[in-house]
Amino acid sequence: MPIDLRETRLPGIGVKYGFRLDSGGRIALILHNDGKRELYWFKRADNDEPSAVITLDDDEARELGAVLGGAYERPKIVEDLEMALGELQIEWVPVPDTSPWFGTTLAEAQFRAKNGITVIAILREPEPVTGAQPHDVIQRGDTLVTVGKAGQYPAFYRRLERGNSDE
Amino acid sequence: MTLAELALTVTLLGGLGLVANRFGLSAIPAYLLAGLLLGPNDPKQLALVEPSEVTEFVADLGIVFLLFFLGLEFTLGRLTRSQRHAVLGGAIDFAVNAGLGLLIGVAAFGFDFAALILAAAIYVSSSAIAVKGLIDFRRLADDETDLVLAILIAEDLILAFVLGFASGAGAEVDETLTIVVKAVGFIALALAASKWLSYVIDRVLDWLPHEFFLLAVVGFVVGMAAIADELALSEAFGALMAGVVLSETSVRGEIEERFFSFRDVFAALFFFVFGLSIDVAAIDEVGWILAGAVVVTLVGKIGGTLWAGRVGGFTPRQSFNAGVALIAHGEFTVILAQLVAENPAISETRQTQLVAFAGLYVLITSTIGVVLMKESKVLSRRLFPAPTLAEGR
Repeated sequence: MPIDLRETRLPGIGVKYGFRLDSGGRIALILHNDGKRELYWFKRADNDEPSAVITLDDDEARELGAVLGGAYERPKIVEDLEMALGELQIEWVPVPDTSPWFGTTLAEAQFRAKNGITVIAILREPEPVTGAQPHDVIQRGDTLVTVGKAGQYPAFYRRLERGNSDE
Repeated sequence: MTLAELALTVTLLGGLGLVANRFGLSAIPAYLLAGLLLGPNDPKQLALVEPSEVTEFVADLGIVFLLFFLGLEFTLGRLTRSQRHAVLGGAIDFAVNAGLGLLIGVAAFGFDFAALILAAAIYVSSSAIAVKGLIDFRRLADDETDLVLAILIAEDLILAFVLGFASGAGAEVDETLTIVVKAVGFIALALAASKWLSYVIDRVLDWLPHEFFLLAVVGFVVGMAAIADELALSEAFGALMAGVVLSETSVRGEIEERFFSFRDVFAALFFFVFGLSIDVAAIDEVGWILAGAVVVTLVGKIGGTLWAGRVGGFTPRQSFNAGVALIAHGEFTVILAQLVAENPAISETRQTQLVAFAGLYVLITSTIGVVLMKESKVLSRRLFPAPTLAEGR
């Protein structure tokens, strides 16, 4: 949703930007000519006294702006990924040391057939296995990169740890 | 004024300004008060500083720097961009307050040039105090701040013109006309220079080494002031136009930065020196003018802006807040009185009266104005209860 950002010049002082929030409040940002920024928050748009005012100098404002804009964390990408996967999720699963599957191939373990979980890669030292194939062998210390539905994971964890014993 | 006196004065001004700041008041009335107390006129208990050529010279420099800075803000682009608030709000503010001011002026001085000056002094609010209040009391985010600033710009524009003839005009009709023509010509030339010469000026100033940059700008500003003075316009007017010429150049920011401290020191001294010449004893003669002017100001600024605000689409509360911000009078009122004190067309008694009036009037309105402004939101909520909020944007 595009935000209706209103710009007003304050002659001799600077520039004012104002926009309304979905929550019913409004924010006004004043850029002073000397670089100072003031952020006014009105809890309700028609309040005539701000509920809070934050004053920042130029450096602080730039830092905060970068953080708010997502320069450090990238929530946008995470969001995209979640969207593309839909119900699916990607899990990094370390193989427990007690697992009975060491030495068997992925095809023999039948994670996909029995649990609906697909192993797409294996992280191991010194070289990770990208694009895991059915004939790749599970080794001690492996971490499996898997794709599956959230509901299928509990059963998968049990089977990875104990093998077919409780079937 | 000796060096020791100057040191004492500047220190005192700094201290007083700080105290005023503590109470959220503008420093301008504090400087005036200091001058009033230390000056040779009543009250005499603290009469320590005599006005002299030195104090006058310092005051001249103060005016020059004050107006030069004001001129720097007057960019052509900004003026053509200023919205309907400036035209409509400015016109209503002018009609109401200059009209009421003229009424007081004529009542005080009859049909005299001094009446016109009194009208202008009552008409023009203080940009410095209003802007400081808007920042201090956190009003910048409010919609009505646009209205306040627009009206201030309109007032400053009209006053720029008044400054042109305040110190020279008033004696004979054709003499006055000549001065008005000269003032208009000067403004036109300055605007033309700021539009077409800014590139050349930029190149020259850029090319100058650091220390000569300062000298060149001071030379230009004081030169313009001197030329205006020669033309029987005022030095204030010349300095203002010097600012206008430089307002479109790219070195404007640098000039502002480097002259800021100059301006503050000399402006403080200017208000102080003006305070020296205020004679409180004159209150016998100007007392009723003063009382009338204060009442007219309260009614005119609040009422006029309420009207202007309603026409401009603001709520009554917002318009009231805007009007209260315009009550304080300051720099322009004082400058006008100072210029008139040099005008031979006005009798000496009236000059003294105008000076005393301006000083006391600024002291009173700036104090009332700031106190009311601080409380204006509470007041406006009382005066205009809730339903009007529905119209609020």
